[in-house]
Amino acid sequence: MAEVDLAGVSKRFGDITAVADVSVRIGDAEFVVLLGPTGAGKTTTLRLVAGLEQPDAGSITIAGTDVTRLPPAARDVALVFQQYSLYPHYTVYENLAFPLKAPGRRLSKPEIDRRVRHIAEMLRIEAKLGNRATQLSGGEMQRVSIGRALVREPTIYLMDEPLSSLDAKLREDLRTELKRIQRDLGATILYVTHDQLEAMTMADRIGVLAAGRLVQTGPPRTVYEAPASIYAAQRLGSPQINLLPAGSLATDRPEPPGTATLGIRPEDVRLTGPMGGAGQERPDLPGRVLTVEHLGVETVVLVETAAGPVRALADAHGPVAEDQPVRVAARPGSVLFFAADGRRLAATPASAPAALEEMSDVA
Amino acid sequence: MPSDTVTTLADKTARATPLALARRVRALSDQAIAWLFITPTIVLLLAINIFPLLWTIYLSFTSYRANQPGRPIRWIGTRNYERLLGSEDIWGYMQVTASFVVWTMVIQVLIGLGLALLINRNFKGAGFWTTVILIPMMLSPAVVGTFWTYLYHPQIGIFSYIVNVFAAVGPLDMIGSVDLAMWSIIIVDTWMWTPYIMLLCLAGLRSIPPYLYEAAEIDRAGPLQQFWHITLPRVMPFLMLAVLFRGIENFKMFDMVVELTSGGPGSTTELASINLKREAFEKWRTGYSSAFAVILFVTVFGLANIYVKALNRVKQT
Ligand SMILES: Nc1ncnc2c1ncn2[C@@H]1O[C@H](COP(=O)(O)OP(=O)(O)OP(=O)(O)O)[C@@H](O)[C@H]1O
Ligand SMILES: [Mg+2]
Repeated sequence: MAEVDLAGVSKRFGDITAVADVSVRIGDAEFVVLLGPTGAGKTTTLRLVAGLEQPDAGSITIAGTDVTRLPPAARDVALVFQQYSLYPHYTVYENLAFPLKAPGRRLSKPEIDRRVRHIAEMLRIEAKLGNRATQLSGGEMQRVSIGRALVREPTIYLMDEPLSSLDAKLREDLRTELKRIQRDLGATILYVTHDQLEAMTMADRIGVLAAGRLVQTGPPRTVYEAPASIYAAQRLGSPQINLLPAGSLATDRPEPPGTATLGIRPEDVRLTGPMGGAGQERPDLPGRVLTVEHLGVETVVLVETAAGPVRALADAHGPVAEDQPVRVAARPGSVLFFAADGRRLAATPASAPAALEEMSDVA
Repeated sequence: MPSDTVTTLADKTARATPLALARRVRALSDQAIAWLFITPTIVLLLAINIFPLLWTIYLSFTSYRANQPGRPIRWIGTRNYERLLGSEDIWGYMQVTASFVVWTMVIQVLIGLGLALLINRNFKGAGFWTTVILIPMMLSPAVVGTFWTYLYHPQIGIFSYIVNVFAAVGPLDMIGSVDLAMWSIIIVDTWMWTPYIMLLCLAGLRSIPPYLYEAAEIDRAGPLQQFWHITLPRVMPFLMLAVLFRGIENFKMFDMVVELTSGGPGSTTELASINLKREAFEKWRTGYSSAFAVILFVTVFGLANIYVKALNRVKQT
C-alpha cells in the first residue's frame, strides 16, 4: 500500500471540463471517498489515477514516484470499474485468478487458488466460481468485479460505485466488509460514490466533488457539521438539510452579515405545539404538518411553513399528526449560515445569553 | 359529371376488391399462413437442390453415360464406389485437394489476422488501405487465374523478376514446375482471398469492447497476454467462420486453377473437382463421376459438421 497524491489535476473532454484542478492526498492506509452527483467527474478522477486517461494539467504521485506519464501497469493500481468489465469468455474463477497471473507475478498455483477461494468466500460468490462471467446477475458481476481488485495487493484500490447494483442488505454487509478489509490489510482506498451513506459510513475522509471541482475535504463528521457550502451540505445527510431564507427563523446566534440562507439539519429541527415559543422576541416559525413518514428508526415529518417546506426528524412515539399546526424552531447552535453565493459563513460564538445578543445586534 | 365519375370509380374499386379472398386469408390460422409463405421456397429447394442430389446418388449406382442418352440405365450396385476407393488416383487427387485447402487456410489465417490487427490500429489512411487490400477479392477467379499465368511467365512475368531481385535463381517457371505448381495456386488463392479473412477478423476485432483491454491493463497483463486472453478468444468465432466458408470454397476450387495450371504439370495440381469435371464431361462416365461427387459431398459435409460443432463451442464462450 502506498500514499497517492493528486496535485492540480485537470482533464477536459472537448468543451467539458470533467476534472478541474483537483488536489487531494490519500494517505497510506487511508479510506478516502469522493462524493458527487452524476457527471461530477468521479469516474474520470479514478481513471486519471489508474492511468487510463492522461491529465491535461497537474501531476499524480504514487508512493513518491511521479506516475503522471506512466502506463497503468507501472502504477500497480486495482480498479473496480463502474460497469463491471469482466472477461466474458472466462469463468468467475478465471476472472478472479487473471490479475494474479500477470507477468512478473510469480505466484504458485495453490497460492492463486487459495486467494481466489478466500475472496470468493468473502464476497459470497463461491457457489458461482464455475459460472461464465456472462451467466451472472448484475449484483454477482459487481461482486466478482470487486473480487478481481481485492485478490491483488496493489498500491491503491480504486473503486467506482462498487455497491451500486446490490440490494440494501448486501450493500450494508459489504460496506462493513470493505471497511474491515481496509483496516485489516491497511489498504489505501479511493472510493467514489453518489451515496452519502457509503461516504459517511466508510470514509476516513470525504471529498465533495462539484462539476469536476473538489469543494471540500475532511472527515465525514466535519463535512457534515461544517460544510463549506450549501452544495456540500446538501450532499450529506438524509433527509437533506432544510434551507430557509435568512431571517425566517429565530436563531440563538446572530446571522453573520451577508447571510442569505439558513440551513438546519432535520434532526436539529424542534417541533412544538402551537402555543410553544410564546414570549420570544422573534417567534418560532408557524407551520402545519403535511406528511408523517414512519421509517422505523426515525420518523420524518414534513411541515409546510410560510418560509417553505421543512423536514424534521421526530420522536417515533411523538404526538405529531398530519394537518396539525406546529411551530418550527432550531436546536441551539445548530443553524448553518450561507451567503448568497452558497458559501458558509462562520457564526459568531453563542457565548452570550440571548438577550445580550439581541442588544449587540441592535448596537 | 366529374363527381359522379368519382363515385362510380370508387364503387367499382370497392366491388372489384376480392373481399371473398381477403376473408378467406383472414380465416386461415397463423400456421397455415406460414406454410403459404414457405411452400414456394421448399418446392424450389426440392427441385434444384434435393432432387439433383438424390438423382446423383441414384446415378452413382449405375453405369449411365450422359453422352448416350438412349441407352437404358443399368444398375451396377456399388461397383463405382469399389473402383473409386480402390484406385490410387483418387487418393492422389484428395491429397492434392487437402494440401491445397490446408495450406491456403493456414497461410491466409496468419496473414489475414495480421493485416486485421494492423488495420485495426486505426492509423491515418487505414480506410484507404482497407479498400486497396480488398480489391483482389472483387475480381472474377477465372480472370485472376488468367492474368496470373502472365505474372508467372518465366521470362516476361513480374513474379519471376521480383524473386530474382532477392535471390538469383534464374527464370522461375512456377506453373510448369512439378515442385512449384502447387505453390503457384496457393499463392494466387492467398492473394485473392486473404482480404476476405481479414475482413471477418476486422469485424471480430471491432466487436471487442475497449473496456476489456482497460481491465487487462489494470490487471497488468502484457500485450501478449492481452492478445492471448482477450483478442484471440473474441476473434476466434469470426476467424473460424471465415475458414469454414473459405475451406468449403477451396475444397471445390475449380475455375482459377483450371485457368492457371489445368491440374498440371502431370496431376500435381489436379484437385478433386478438376478430376471430377474431366470424368463427367470429358470422359462422360456419369455414373462413376456421380459416385465421386457423392464421396466428395459426404467428405465436405462430414468435415463441415465436425467443424461447426467446434465453432459452436467456441462461440458459447
Ligand atoms: N470519454 C469522454 N469523452 C467525453 N466526455 C466525457 C468522457 N468521459 C467523461 N466525460 C464527461 O465528463 C464528465 C464527468 O464524467 P464522469 O464519468 O467522470 O462522471 P461521474 O461522476 O463518474 O458520473 P456518474 O456518477 O454518472 O458515473 C461528464 O460530463 C461526462 O459527460
Ligand atoms: Mg462514473
